[in-house]
Amino acid sequence: MSYYDIDSILTDAEKIPCTFQLEIPELGYLDNQPGQPLKAGSKIALPLWLAEMLAIANTGGDDQAKSFVTFDLPAALSNEVVQALKADPRAVPLRDQSPHLYGLATHMMDLSEEQELGVVLRKTFVTRASEIALHARKVGGTGHNKGTADEGSNLGVGGTGEEFLRGLEEWERKLFRKAHDGAKAGKEWMENVKKR
Amino acid sequence: MALPLPPGLNHAEVAFLAEMEMVTVVPRQRLESINLLSGQTPPLRPPHRAELPLWLALLLKKQRRANILPPPWLHPSSLAEIIHRETKEDPVTFSAPPPPPSHANPHDPGTARRVRDADADANLAPPFLPSCTAGAPAGYLPYHWLEVAEALLTHAGDDMAAPAGDVRSLLRDLVEVRAAKMRSSTSALEGFGGGLMSLRGVGAMELAESRGFVLGVVDGVRKIGASAEAARREEEELGGGREDDESDEDMGI
Amino acid sequence: MPMYGDLGNKLVQHAKRTQNLTHLPPYQTELVRTVAREVRDLDKDVTSMLEPFQGSFDPSAEQATACTLLVNHLSMRRDKRCLLAYHRTRTDKLEELVWNGYDILDLSGQQQAGGANGATGMNEGGTTSSLSPQEEDYVRQYGDLLAAYKGHWTDIDLTGSLEPPRDLFIDVRVLKDAGEIQTEYGAINLTKNSQFYVRQGDVERLIAQGYLQKLG
Repeated sequence: MSYYDIDSILTDAEKIPCTFQLEIPELGYLDNQPGQPLKAGSKIALPLWLAEMLAIANTGGDDQAKSFVTFDLPAALSNEVVQALKADPRAVPLRDQSPHLYGLATHMMDLSEEQELGVVLRKTFVTRASEIALHARKVGGTGHNKGTADEGSNLGVGGTGEEFLRGLEEWERKLFRKAHDGAKAGKEWMENVKKR
Repeated sequence: MALPLPPGLNHAEVAFLAEMEMVTVVPRQRLESINLLSGQTPPLRPPHRAELPLWLALLLKKQRRANILPPPWLHPSSLAEIIHRETKEDPVTFSAPPPPPSHANPHDPGTARRVRDADADANLAPPFLPSCTAGAPAGYLPYHWLEVAEALLTHAGDDMAAPAGDVRSLLRDLVEVRAAKMRSSTSALEGFGGGLMSLRGVGAMELAESRGFVLGVVDGVRKIGASAEAARREEEELGGGREDDESDEDMGI
Repeated sequence: MPMYGDLGNKLVQHAKRTQNLTHLPPYQTELVRTVAREVRDLDKDVTSMLEPFQGSFDPSAEQATACTLLVNHLSMRRDKRCLLAYHRTRTDKLEELVWNGYDILDLSGQQQAGGANGATGMNEGGTTSSLSPQEEDYVRQYGDLLAAYKGHWTDIDLTGSLEPPRDLFIDVRVLKDAGEIQTEYGAINLTKNSQFYVRQGDVERLIAQGYLQKLG
């Protein structure tokens, strides 16, 4: 989560639904109406880097201090998705919900307590991880090194797992690559022993 | 940035280190003692057995100057026993590493005790115990089991106790069984707060292969649980007034 | 509807792609310039917004203005982070390439075969370097730095192979004339198509540079 971390910066661009709590003359452009005031109660999807601070900062008045915006869980973490994950974590293509699903979720859990979400995601991540390792080993073990062009383009190799692998979000893709690199290095070492 | 390698030892490095394991050879020619960095090698006098580092043993084998005695744990019966244990007796955890060496007194049964007198080795823990090396007893896998086994099968296949092909196929089965365990052992991290993934008995080469994956899973689980964990701690400290959590997260290096 | 930070995000997407490439794609001169301009514009807005207050701005009295200022501030901060991360990703890559033995000539002459999205056209015709002039300078100086650092050790090649050797001696074939080299066992004259049995450590560099080919 370093300042320079590319994935963390891209995760911060994920949008969440926000509601403005007061009228702001200059910000109409956020709601696609430049030049118009932004009305209190306007619902706009804002990127995390903006939404987070606007939700935390408040108007400063001692008596009725309130946040500039309130927010809801994004569709990617909606109840339907959570229920589907509870039913079978492996059957949900997470990438279709958000390419940064876990990153987005950790932000949301920082902002508000979402105990159930944490429990479900933990199970989801762990369950899918062993599936990922299985596919990574298969791909790594199929022999036929496709030259140098296998830098992740082979995410789709191998029939049955294709659909599952397509649905991996970023954390999972990274995990797949690590598992795949390990399996591949093991195979290369094994072949090298014989050459000696 | 300059070091392109991932953290931890990689396959080539592990294989290199494994060549320092000691194996028993039966020399076919005389060879005087050699003064190595690691110490003097014993002079070789056929047909007396001698202990040599694996790399030297392999070299002599290639020059047909010695045969290598396969270590007891690499015998087919030993491998079959381990496979049985890994699949039937305990399909979840890895089979235990070799037990520490013990002294048994045949005249006084039941009083076997751990070896404590080997001064230099007294403070060693697995995988550095002598019994965790290639000198491990039958029925147990030493730390460098896969690397040593592969090297011996490939370069000293004719010295095996059974046809090398048979030993190799047992070894393959074992590799597969244990790789499957490694994958499914991540599920142990599922329970909230109580996740513990035991890697006891896992060999060096297996670690090299799975290190990236396992660390990735552990890290992911940690990040998913981070906010709940922070909330729990805050509650525990109950207004301890500590506010140094992540206020400068933005510029965090 | 384009928003502040959108272009910065584009830059970071470029960086993300760069991470998975072995070469360095063209520097996004125009995009970098636009994002930098966006920061300056935002800063101007902030200055003019604060001007009427003469340094005595009270956020709780002027909540709407405070919110606008916060949005502007966050947008600038976001743009800055995108800009820095983009350049950092590229310098990381450049350092990696220098460690791998590339020098400024290899890199600045690097032709972009698949310039992909027209963004290459920024450089005024002629040779297309995928590096910005500042980056070229960076590579040059970093290369010098690395060479000076390596010079401290004569018997260890810091940029040598990280693979533990399996054999001390190897068979090599000479692909290009490489002149005479000094080894522990005397001088060897490396003429094209000849074969030698040499110490791996002596020729590792020449293999990496493509003069020699390892056999077997």
